[in-house]
Amino acid sequence: MTSHYDPITLEIIQNSLQATADEMFAALRRTAMSPIIYEVLDMGTGITDRHGEIAGSGAGIPAFVGVLDKTVKRILEKYPQEEIEPGDIFITNDPYNGGVTHLNDMVLTMPVFAEGELVAWTANIAHWNDVGGMVPGSMSTEATEIFQEGMIYPGVKLISRGEPIRSVFQILTANCRMPDFLTGDLWAGIAAVRVGERRIRELVAKYGVDVFLHAVDAYMAYGEQVSRRALRELPKGTWSLAEEQDDGQIYRVTVTITDDQFVVDLRDNPEQSQGPFNMSRDDTVVGCQMAFKNITSPQDRVANGGTFRPLQVLTRKGTVFDPEYPAAMGIYYELGIRLHDLIIRCMAPHMPDRLPAGSFSSICGTLFGGIHPDTGRTYAVIEPELGGWGGSARKDGNPGQFSAFHGETYNCPAEVAEARYGVTVDYLSFHDEDGGAGLHRGGKGVRIDYRIRSDKAWLTFAYTRSKVPPWPLEGGQPGSANHIIIRRATGETERYAVANGLTLHRDDVIQIMTATGAGWGDPMQRPLEQVEEDLKNGYITLEQANRHYGLERRRRQQKAARA
Amino acid sequence: MRVATDIGGTFTDLVYVAPDGRVHTAKSHTTPGQFEQGVMDVIQAAGIEPQEFTAFVHGTTLVINAITERKGARTGLITTQGFRDVLEIGRGNRPDFFNLEYEKPRPFVDRYLRREVPGRINYRGEETAPLDLSGLPAILEDFRGEGVEAVAICLLNAYANAAHEEALLAEVRRLWPEIAVVASHQITREWREYERTNTTVLSAYVQPLAHRYLDRLTGRLAQAGMACTPYIMQSNCGVDTVQNARQIPITMIESGPASGIWGAAALGRLIDEPEIIAIDIGGTTAKCGLITGGQVTLNTDYYVERSQTSAGYPVMVPVVDLVEIGQGGGSIAWVDEFQRLHVGPQSAGARPGPAAYGLGGQEATTTDANLALGRINPDYFCGGTLAADMAGVAQALGRLAQRLDMTPTQAARGIVRLANNNMVNAIKLISVNRGHDPRDFALVAFGGGGGLHACELARELNISRIVIPNHAGVFSAWGMLLTDLRRDYLRTRIVELDGPGAAEQLSQVFQELEEQALQAYAAEGIPASRIRFLRYGRLRYQNQEHSTEIDLPGGPIGPEQMGAIVEHFHTAYEREYTYRLDAPVELVTFHLIALAEVDKLQPQARPLSHRNPQEARKGEREVDFLELGVHRATLYDGARLEPGMAFAGPAVVEEAETTVVIPPDAHCRLDEYGNYRIELAAGQAGPQRNE
Repeated sequence: MTSHYDPITLEIIQNSLQATADEMFAALRRTAMSPIIYEVLDMGTGITDRHGEIAGSGAGIPAFVGVLDKTVKRILEKYPQEEIEPGDIFITNDPYNGGVTHLNDMVLTMPVFAEGELVAWTANIAHWNDVGGMVPGSMSTEATEIFQEGMIYPGVKLISRGEPIRSVFQILTANCRMPDFLTGDLWAGIAAVRVGERRIRELVAKYGVDVFLHAVDAYMAYGEQVSRRALRELPKGTWSLAEEQDDGQIYRVTVTITDDQFVVDLRDNPEQSQGPFNMSRDDTVVGCQMAFKNITSPQDRVANGGTFRPLQVLTRKGTVFDPEYPAAMGIYYELGIRLHDLIIRCMAPHMPDRLPAGSFSSICGTLFGGIHPDTGRTYAVIEPELGGWGGSARKDGNPGQFSAFHGETYNCPAEVAEARYGVTVDYLSFHDEDGGAGLHRGGKGVRIDYRIRSDKAWLTFAYTRSKVPPWPLEGGQPGSANHIIIRRATGETERYAVANGLTLHRDDVIQIMTATGAGWGDPMQRPLEQVEEDLKNGYITLEQANRHYGLERRRRQQKAARA
Repeated sequence: MRVATDIGGTFTDLVYVAPDGRVHTAKSHTTPGQFEQGVMDVIQAAGIEPQEFTAFVHGTTLVINAITERKGARTGLITTQGFRDVLEIGRGNRPDFFNLEYEKPRPFVDRYLRREVPGRINYRGEETAPLDLSGLPAILEDFRGEGVEAVAICLLNAYANAAHEEALLAEVRRLWPEIAVVASHQITREWREYERTNTTVLSAYVQPLAHRYLDRLTGRLAQAGMACTPYIMQSNCGVDTVQNARQIPITMIESGPASGIWGAAALGRLIDEPEIIAIDIGGTTAKCGLITGGQVTLNTDYYVERSQTSAGYPVMVPVVDLVEIGQGGGSIAWVDEFQRLHVGPQSAGARPGPAAYGLGGQEATTTDANLALGRINPDYFCGGTLAADMAGVAQALGRLAQRLDMTPTQAARGIVRLANNNMVNAIKLISVNRGHDPRDFALVAFGGGGGLHACELARELNISRIVIPNHAGVFSAWGMLLTDLRRDYLRTRIVELDGPGAAEQLSQVFQELEEQALQAYAAEGIPASRIRFLRYGRLRYQNQEHSTEIDLPGGPIGPEQMGAIVEHFHTAYEREYTYRLDAPVELVTFHLIALAEVDKLQPQARPLSHRNPQEARKGEREVDFLELGVHRATLYDGARLEPGMAFAGPAVVEEAETTVVIPPDAHCRLDEYGNYRIELAAGQAGPQRNE
């Protein structure tokens, strides 16, 4: 045992940190205005220690929780101590200034003071519908500088000693196409950090500053212990992978695992993109943290500053994973999921019992909008899509699941979409596109058809894994491709992986097709009764059953063997 | 004579009120597979005769057990063309978010039994493509061939207009009269197709079983001479007729916990404590709920089997708002590889049970810790029916303590403190997380473990008033005797409250719902004169999703009332979320509660005794009060305490079914209904109230 501190009290404080992050999450969810926050839950909440290290595991999208520490650290660098006061709230969306992701993701942070001392920070991040910029929704695939992607808030004080700074609120609402949504989402975020701040103050009042600070430090040490223990059980060595992307570029990663370090080397990667296909160095670290956690200790939910101490990330300035200012970053998330998948793909063959085959592995971020035909109001849809996950040594892949970067993310029900957006959902089920055969099949990809009911709607998206399909393991087959088919009312069809501001008219259909995950193991080894069950359930077609699984041939062989 | 029976996992409880107003209880073992036998057994154990029953209320875990044990019927689903896989896709969420090998919950209907029919209704309830039933005979033929025993129907947008579902339902009944079938609109008219589909599927899944069980139960009771109408406890804190429960058995899913929370609310009204935090601490789980203004809150976002590692299965029926956690007397204490102590959620159950049972349980449980700390009497364990194996307790705690590098006493304290902390966090979810300050509430604690933990929980939450009800061990069954017939009608329909005609729309929809309720009750012979309506609306700022429920005025609603309704919403919203917005307000879901009075229990006050509580004193012993230290406590025999008696802590009251631990700074008094009313000394150190 470490010290004179009562271990049970420390644990109770640590449990309360998690309970507080959950409470902030609940508050943000229930009051937000934008469906992407309250329905998709494209948000996260967390508590950092006074130095900005994540203290509680936080709640929400795991890839978002890893952002919050970086924001707080930047605020601490930027403001002299006397300018951080009780009741203050700061706002950040600048990826070059602790905002980490892209301008649509707004981070609110609030310092917590007890007995006149800074003891912690509460923070949350949420995706806002629109922050200005060159297109509605702010994310354009054609942006070449961050200035085209919206207004930049580089860690600005929003509330001073509890009093809203009116001019900042005015700047915020003036630079948004949907100011009503912004106001609602902003206050939801404010309410959430305030709730957290109040809880932490209560905790400190009860147990004292000293015990509280020690509990937080001990929790970090515990996080580190969990990671180090897990590292010891991993194979040691250095592994590299070069993977071709849909656009022909090659991404490279080298992972080195030693007894006490996990190093991800990304220095040998393409020069930064002229467009928005870049991600900040901070977010590259977040992507590596996700993979690190998935590989080392997925069952243990602790993920704090200590957890990631053994992780080292190497990048080179001026590359897609560490771009120079003012590179655009609107589509950072697609880079993030590519990076994560690259690391998992690099390691999976060397730890086949820990990692599944490749999944659809795209955020499939889909943005469309227009005029609601019944209410006449503007609507905007911003959603990730569900796809198939890869098979693994243990089981078939999950069908219809959000990406590895998501957690408690929910799709928008067809009934809600029809009422809210005035579109018709013609279809929401699996598709029959070929892919993912294996001893353990890939999970099915999903098809969603949105029928547009009014003229002059717009559509923007950037999917990856459209040409280079999800990767199999142990003799399985690759998955299918992510793509969108536009079925025009005139009868023509168009197929895309990326599009910027396509115009759609009444009765045009957006047919979203996400990939079926890759297979694990030789499909010919899949037991015949499972193949027959898959066929009966329509998870595979008769043609696929014969081609990949040799259904008829194996039936004949079986019969012959019996005779 | 009024009788309630409650089937739980281990015991079937019975509470009855004799003609003289006195309450009696009985317990017998639950008889899985033939639950009605347990009911007949417990009636016999109580020594009462069904001919004498004037009211009979019944609650059962049949439905939830059939679902969690996967023992329901083979079910087929018919849905709208293009939406066959909604049931399997769910919402795509993954609570176990670091785990790439997450296992998605498997749907209750396999894909080949999920079939589609063409036809569409839009979100405004207008038909945009006619229903085509030409393929239905072939679908039903396939279902027959596959041995389907129940059919669920859920069509897109049926919440807005159920015409297609009604036509499909009628045709299924015509083509296959003997099949158990249910359509989503019979259960709920709320939107979200996955949740509604899953709810309908689960209801169909348990329907044949519920039919058989209810028929056997009512048959046995009638045979034994019972003449009164039996009622079935529902998850919405009301009871319903057997006829209705047979049709939509899924509404029974949380009937046991609902009656406990309801009992707490009813008790609160009786003793003038309208603001209550209720906690039911049993052997395996603890459940807590919040009561404000004497009323319980209902939600329709209940889940089965939801956890940190599973998305679970949504059930969209009104269920009393409660949080359930895996913390009870049997919760097992364990140490992880990093030397951290945890309690639960695994439970030692009834077998082997806590180490103290001496049935081979090697692991220390919360009950064992309470015994080791002198909080439970080893010589009066389980009401004296069982000799506590204290050597076993010492061994189990010793092993744990060694791993933690602590003394066994420190380990035992750690267990009780962590168990308390887990329960405190659950209570915060239903109180502070929803904008309520626990200091404004009384804590009502029941179940076998309620009295053991109540005072420490209250102290953590800064609650000063605690009530341990009379008959705390069978409180859920007691709660059933206090219920009315209750049906909740929910309908999603968006009305902009500042738009033209809003008042007319409100009046019209409520009137429709009220007529629907009257007709349903009339069909069962319940006259309009006995029926009372309560109206609620779920309101939100335009563009928000999650709504806040407020009560709405009865009768015709005029345009002049709209301002007050909107202001009512702003106020309720601000209380919950600390701010209000200058944005349009809309109503999303209509909620009508139709209550029909039944002949229910009116608890009788007993005269106050002037005897000295010392007459009930049975000794004293060292008791560990955790953070307040070890004190020599007076022991009282609960059976000999009488209304009006009062005494100070440190004390322990021992009853056959429960133990009440009263810390040194507390004072306890028995009120005129025999409830323990405990006051903690005010001004405890703790968080200050926030301004």
